[in-house]
Amino acid sequence: MLNYTIRRLLFAIPTLLVISFIIFAILDLAPSDPTGNLPLTIPPEVREKIRLSLGLGEPFPIRYLKWLQQFFINEPLNLIEQWFGVSIGDSENRLRVQSWATRSPVVDLIVERMPQTLWVVGMSYVVGILIAIPIGVISAYKQYSVFDQVGTFISMVGFSVPTFFTGLVMIVIFSSTLGWLPSIYDTTHKVTDLASFWFQVKQMIMPVMVLALFNASQLSRFMRASMLDNLSQDYVRTARAKGLKERAVLLIHVLRNSLIPVVTVIALGIPQIFGGAIITEQIFRVNGLGQLLIIGIQGADIPLVQTLTFIFAVLIVLFNLVADIVYGILDPRIRYE
Amino acid sequence: MKKALLCSAITASFFAGTALAERGSDGQLNIIYWQAASILNPYLSGGTKDIEASSMVIEPLAHYDEKGTMVPNLVDEIPTVENGGVSEDLKSITWKLSEGLKWSDGSPVTAADVAFTADYCLHPEGGCQQASNFTDVESVEAIDDSTVKVNFSVAKPFPYGPFVGAQAPVIQKAQFENCMGAKAPECTDANFGPIGTGPFVVTEFKANDVVALEANPNFRDPAKPAFASVVFKGGGDAASAARSVLETGEFDYAWNLQVEPEILSKMAAAGKGTVVSSFGTSVERLMVNMTNPDPALGDKRATIEGGPHPFLTDPAVRTALSKAIDREILVEVGYGEAGQPTCNVLPAPAIYASTANDACLGQDIDAAKKLLDDAGWVPGSDGVREKDGVRLSILYQTSTNSVRQATQALVKQWWAEIGVETELRNIDASVFFGGDQSSPDTFQKFFADIEMYTNNFDGTDPENYMANWACKEIPSPQNQWLGDNMPRYCNAAYDALVAEMSTTAKLEDRAELAKKMNDMLMQEGAMIPLIHRGGVSAHANTLEGVRMNEWDSELWNVADWKRAK
Amino acid sequence: MSTESILRVEGLSMYFPVYQGVMRKQVGEIKAVDDVSFSITKGETLGLVGESGCGKSTTGRAILKLYEPTAGRIELEGRDITELEGDELRAIRTDMQMIFQDPQACLNPRMTVGSIIAEPLDEHTRLKRRQKRERVRELLDAVGMNPDFENRYPHEFSGGQRQRIGIARALALEPKFIVCDEPIAALDVSIQAQVVNLLEDLQNKHNLTYLFISHDLSMVRHIADRIAVMYLGRLVELAPRQQLYSMPRHPYTKALLSAVPEPDPAREALRERIILKGDVPSPANPPSGCNFSTRCPIAEDKCRRETPAWREMDDGRFVACHMVQ
Ligand SMILES: Nc1ncnc2c1ncn2[C@@H]1O[C@H](COP(=O)(O)OP(=O)(O)O)[C@@H](O)[C@H]1O
Ligand code: SF4
Ligand SMILES: [Mg+2]
Repeated sequence: MLNYTIRRLLFAIPTLLVISFIIFAILDLAPSDPTGNLPLTIPPEVREKIRLSLGLGEPFPIRYLKWLQQFFINEPLNLIEQWFGVSIGDSENRLRVQSWATRSPVVDLIVERMPQTLWVVGMSYVVGILIAIPIGVISAYKQYSVFDQVGTFISMVGFSVPTFFTGLVMIVIFSSTLGWLPSIYDTTHKVTDLASFWFQVKQMIMPVMVLALFNASQLSRFMRASMLDNLSQDYVRTARAKGLKERAVLLIHVLRNSLIPVVTVIALGIPQIFGGAIITEQIFRVNGLGQLLIIGIQGADIPLVQTLTFIFAVLIVLFNLVADIVYGILDPRIRYE
Repeated sequence: MKKALLCSAITASFFAGTALAERGSDGQLNIIYWQAASILNPYLSGGTKDIEASSMVIEPLAHYDEKGTMVPNLVDEIPTVENGGVSEDLKSITWKLSEGLKWSDGSPVTAADVAFTADYCLHPEGGCQQASNFTDVESVEAIDDSTVKVNFSVAKPFPYGPFVGAQAPVIQKAQFENCMGAKAPECTDANFGPIGTGPFVVTEFKANDVVALEANPNFRDPAKPAFASVVFKGGGDAASAARSVLETGEFDYAWNLQVEPEILSKMAAAGKGTVVSSFGTSVERLMVNMTNPDPALGDKRATIEGGPHPFLTDPAVRTALSKAIDREILVEVGYGEAGQPTCNVLPAPAIYASTANDACLGQDIDAAKKLLDDAGWVPGSDGVREKDGVRLSILYQTSTNSVRQATQALVKQWWAEIGVETELRNIDASVFFGGDQSSPDTFQKFFADIEMYTNNFDGTDPENYMANWACKEIPSPQNQWLGDNMPRYCNAAYDALVAEMSTTAKLEDRAELAKKMNDMLMQEGAMIPLIHRGGVSAHANTLEGVRMNEWDSELWNVADWKRAK
Repeated sequence: MSTESILRVEGLSMYFPVYQGVMRKQVGEIKAVDDVSFSITKGETLGLVGESGCGKSTTGRAILKLYEPTAGRIELEGRDITELEGDELRAIRTDMQMIFQDPQACLNPRMTVGSIIAEPLDEHTRLKRRQKRERVRELLDAVGMNPDFENRYPHEFSGGQRQRIGIARALALEPKFIVCDEPIAALDVSIQAQVVNLLEDLQNKHNLTYLFISHDLSMVRHIADRIAVMYLGRLVELAPRQQLYSMPRHPYTKALLSAVPEPDPAREALRERIILKGDVPSPANPPSGCNFSTRCPIAEDKCRRETPAWREMDDGRFVACHMVQ
């Protein structure tokens, strides 16, 4: 397994380089302009100067190589320096990947946004899983029961109604009408005591639930299908014939086997946490990574978009590997050598 | 005498202030801008959100008030030719800083800071986004600690570009000294937390998310600001920003509420807040292409060399197109509080607004038809008018935006009624307004017959704005398509007026000239103005002191804002 | 061989409801097993043959109470188990077990061979860990497998080996009665004999009773003492092996046997194949009267009106046919 992992990681390097080049090329070809969103009152000569100051005067290959150097050499060096408090070489003049709109290092922006994204989107993922699994199990076990029918209906709704709508409905109910929950997430809030913790919980409820319901409706369907697949397997009959309690049959035999593909799907979905839930973050102004990306795209902040999308690409490649490894661990039939 | 009056006014307001409020007594002010602030250095960002966020921290020497009148801010009076502050040859202006001004870190504000600000923006490698405010500035010198003189290379009848309005605030030399030119973007700390003279100082800045500020302990008015802290939150969309003020009451002030008029008035009915609007110089207009955009022309497409437009050069057609439009309906459908029908490209300030063109305000389909009939454009078999084999078929482009697409659809319908065929096209804003040389879809290239967008000018002086339509401003491959004369309008008489204005100093005379230029453009039909667009914002009913301003930052007087008792 | 019957089945029926439409209304039922009666004596092997889909597996599963029978009565060692549920039902699982057709699918892929075999022990005995382990190794040994395989997973074995694991698992609780549901059908021909021999050995050693299900008449010939023939959910004939093969009485049995090649070339030359016309009707919509009437070469009007009774003949055989006297 270790060899396999190492081999996969090595293969990932050229893949990622190609991906980074493609992203860079696409962003470069895209006809958007970092000065495009500036007020029209800014004259063209000034715009041209701004473009030059952003490094757009240089030819494409040079800009790409510079980005490579900044991302793969300068940024890691900077991280090491920060973590260990040392300075390596000429750290003063080492150029980091700079966002055009904020003129600050992209990586710092990403780090700044990690907490709210991980808390809100990550929590919604966990909550979604916790809701989805029992629902999927019961729905499958009691296939076509009222529970299953209602569950099917709700998850259809949950999946097909976009989060901007559920989010809006929640805001109208819980913020506008009842006034129980804040509709705007305070990213500067710090949890110091019970009261502030409670506030944190309150401001997380709506975004987390909106996303969790969305995730759960997808995942519970998946769980249900996987359970149904396994419930009709002969080994389940064997287990019953063994005289096991129904609970044991369900939880030990069926559930564990059904979880294998579900766990893989969960692992494959993790990069999406880091991608943030763009829409939900916008509605509740959680302003995490998703919102950072969308602002970057709107403002043609190419270094930001480039770096973020590339990090997502890395995560996707990485979690594909993780999913494969997890699958290998969970399913004894799979062996990597 | 004047000075004494001003002084007493200041002292009066000072005492009034202390009597009513005390600094920091009103708790927190929550402001929401649905476009989040990216940076607090307006010299590195042209975005309104960034300029306005920073306007609470760094300030210009003078502001424009809500009527577009200049008011002194860090100075005691506005320099003019009459008071000797502006030289007779109009080539320099001398500002005198008020006594005892301090930066928020406690150090004194000096003329050197002001001079430095100009150097900072004029540095050739800095990519200063406000460079247009410093046009023709030759040098800025500190005469003494409190006197600064701006020298222009040409006579500047309106010398109030530098240091007036939120786009050109004074920054601290000590903080930005090492951030000149190419180094500017690397000074993240300074760009995210400039030291200023404004009522608030930055305590926390999260780019593209939120700015937390607290009252500036060294603010010149000891009674202000009334709020102890400000949260300037960003992100989301305009509708939910409006909701947070008008419905949930979580925020006190929401900016730029480009929301369907109907939705906004529903929200306002909740009674928690008030919608406010004000009108500056923004006009949504149709630009009429005077050159031929035919793709067959290749490199000469949409240039003077490519020849005149096959039918838009006929004044009858242009006038008919304008007459067919019902501007009232456009306002109703797309703008509500935020729009008024207009027939001028220069609708404000009041002294510049012409009334000579108001005939266009009412829609008149029959008159439009008659105009075309008389000019020999007769309907063909498919109802589209033609003359000598030329069909009145228009490609009408604009940026992607729901209001604009609704407008396009309506206009298309009206034009169809008078026998003009229209093909609609919309282009993503960052492409349309982006200057990408390789894209055929920019508004400068104008590879279409009609294009629609909004433009305005900063401040109150229209000289540069009106100069946009001089012959030399026509975009073409020779000038990399840079230039603001989108209609490719070229008229020697107009150019003469432009030249005259650049040497006229007296306000009334300038106003006459500007009106004349506006009328010329309107009557020749080089552009068809549609809507005078205003800003719409909302504030909580518990917030007092908002003086909505289109000429400067909306937060220009945030120091005076307070909680209603 | 004692004549004491270990299992008695009377009028066993298993109907599966058929649902249709969005509201899943019941629109009918599949009569997978319809009014089946027979008994098995201790130590005996009863073969149950019939075409695929005729309801053999369903019969086996219903007997083991893996389904809830629609009607009928099942007696195990004189005890009515038809209505047993929950713990009581689980308790009698120690007495009856099943070996499944597909040795791959019937083993939980995520469990080691050891834990698959030990699981019933966990559930039904109070053995210590070590004892259980001993027992598992013993069982593996008994089915001819290396006891060290206990830590391996099912997918690491061949079909024949897996079936041995399945047998070891079924034996773990020392059952008295085992339903072997086509235990060799999925195996290579070369392996089939080994497994059949193993089953016979085990039967002798542990005095087991088998219900041996197969779709192949030539297969049961080796192992069954008596043979029951099933058609479309019903038994048509039940007779001792010798008699059935030498003198089938039911027209369906005759047809089936005519398709089996004779080992003796002389008789093979004389063998006359009876080709049945038409297809087996659907169990959801069986014909009226005799189930076989749509295809029976000697069917008469009566056959289409009346269902023939399941009658015991003078020679102790059972037949369901109007035409058999
Ligand atoms: N769980 C079930 N639900 C519905 N129909 C079933 C089910 N199990 C078996 N059947 C049907 O019952 C009939 C008998 O099946 P089965 O007992 O498996 O036949 P055999 O084992 O003889 O091949 C078939 O028509 C089959 O489709
Ligand atoms: S009852 Fe009639 S149809 Fe049925 S098997 Fe006998 S002869 Fe044939
Ligand atoms: Mg079967």
